[in-house]
Amino acid sequence: MNLRVVAELISSLDMSMGSGSSNDNQNNLSEWDRLLLRVGSYRDRSAFKKLYEHFAPRLKSFLLRIGSDMSAAEEICQESMIMVWRRAETFNPESAGASTWIFTIARNKRIDKLRKDNRPLPDLNDPSFFQIPVDKSDDILQRVEEEKKIKNALKNLPPEQAKLILSAYYEEKSHRKIADETNLPLGTVKSRIRLAINRLRTQLEELEG
Amino acid sequence: MNKQNTLTLVESLLIDYASGSLPLALEVLVESHISMNPSSARSIRMLLQIGGALMENSDPISMSEGSFERLMDEIDGGQQDEEIAKSDVSNDNDKLPLPLRNFVSEATFPKNWRRIGIGLSEQTVDFGDEFGNAKLYRIAPGCGVPSHSHDGNEVSLVLAGGFTDEYGSYGPGDISIQETGAVHKPVADADGECIVLAVNEGPIVLTGPVGRLLNMLIK
Repeated sequence: MNLRVVAELISSLDMSMGSGSSNDNQNNLSEWDRLLLRVGSYRDRSAFKKLYEHFAPRLKSFLLRIGSDMSAAEEICQESMIMVWRRAETFNPESAGASTWIFTIARNKRIDKLRKDNRPLPDLNDPSFFQIPVDKSDDILQRVEEEKKIKNALKNLPPEQAKLILSAYYEEKSHRKIADETNLPLGTVKSRIRLAINRLRTQLEELEG
Repeated sequence: MNKQNTLTLVESLLIDYASGSLPLALEVLVESHISMNPSSARSIRMLLQIGGALMENSDPISMSEGSFERLMDEIDGGQQDEEIAKSDVSNDNDKLPLPLRNFVSEATFPKNWRRIGIGLSEQTVDFGDEFGNAKLYRIAPGCGVPSHSHDGNEVSLVLAGGFTDEYGSYGPGDISIQETGAVHKPVADADGECIVLAVNEGPIVLTGPVGRLLNMLIK
């Protein structure tokens, strides 16, 4: 990330930390993005607490919806939020917003946990973490718009498609369970999920045009 | 497998990647693929954004009593040197995409090739993974892999050069998928060495007469 951009962001943060300030529109970042930047820059505990109170219960709920049991969901939440604290300085608002970034961390933590449960895996230079792919042409505005559009599109999906989209994030074994329950081959289940994702992609592209 | 079917299987692979349900070997293959293919990188980005939105749209469920305090205790008591332990990989092997460099040491990469045919070498990549096996293949320009079928699905990623088989031509960053029982005979393009990462659910079964002999050697 361009250092100038970071500098600008941080200087605007100091002025605009009050919630709902007029700078919200100016720099286009969500309240959560800005809290996350504060944690990264200043190890700000009250900012972190706000992030925790917003995201941990939603992440827990999401993990339960995609197949984790209660204790795994809590554990993955806690471990993810520790990672949020430790890695906040690597948060790059050009490539992802707070919710995408935290989702990605939780995704990695869940993989870690599944692998550890199955077999010992050496920590090969932290395979649990990777960079969210960035387009060269990216800027914050574009990223913010993308994520807003996705959030809105998801809210307006027909229930059947929404269910399929959510099931794209299920654990593998849940896909097998769906296949068993619906008497459909696993390949068919996967291909319906893929079609639902493609339909959403088309809907997003139409919004663009 | 034809291009259209391959395309849909790659899409499914990307979805499984975003949801975190791939075994390590395939996860690294997909990461390598997206580091070489901007269109798939955009798909992954969108899938992660959808995941983030689904997460944030979920109705909150309270964490158990005292969770935040326990978390802060852990953070305060934790080792401070964790960042240092996560230093960058010092592997400049530019023949391999970055995600793969964690798993193939720069020192052993040139030495580990094992000749298994004319203009054809392989080396095993150790993902410590119980799922299938991962190998790097190096094919000299114009040389081929003997006709073989697959006992278990195989996903291949071209890392350098290119090859052509019965189903199409593949260049750097392209994925080719062979389903169980599919037979193909890839030939490297004439203009350079071809390096492929292949992740297989089960052992490859070579089908030609030479191949049958090779079966005994590569097991």
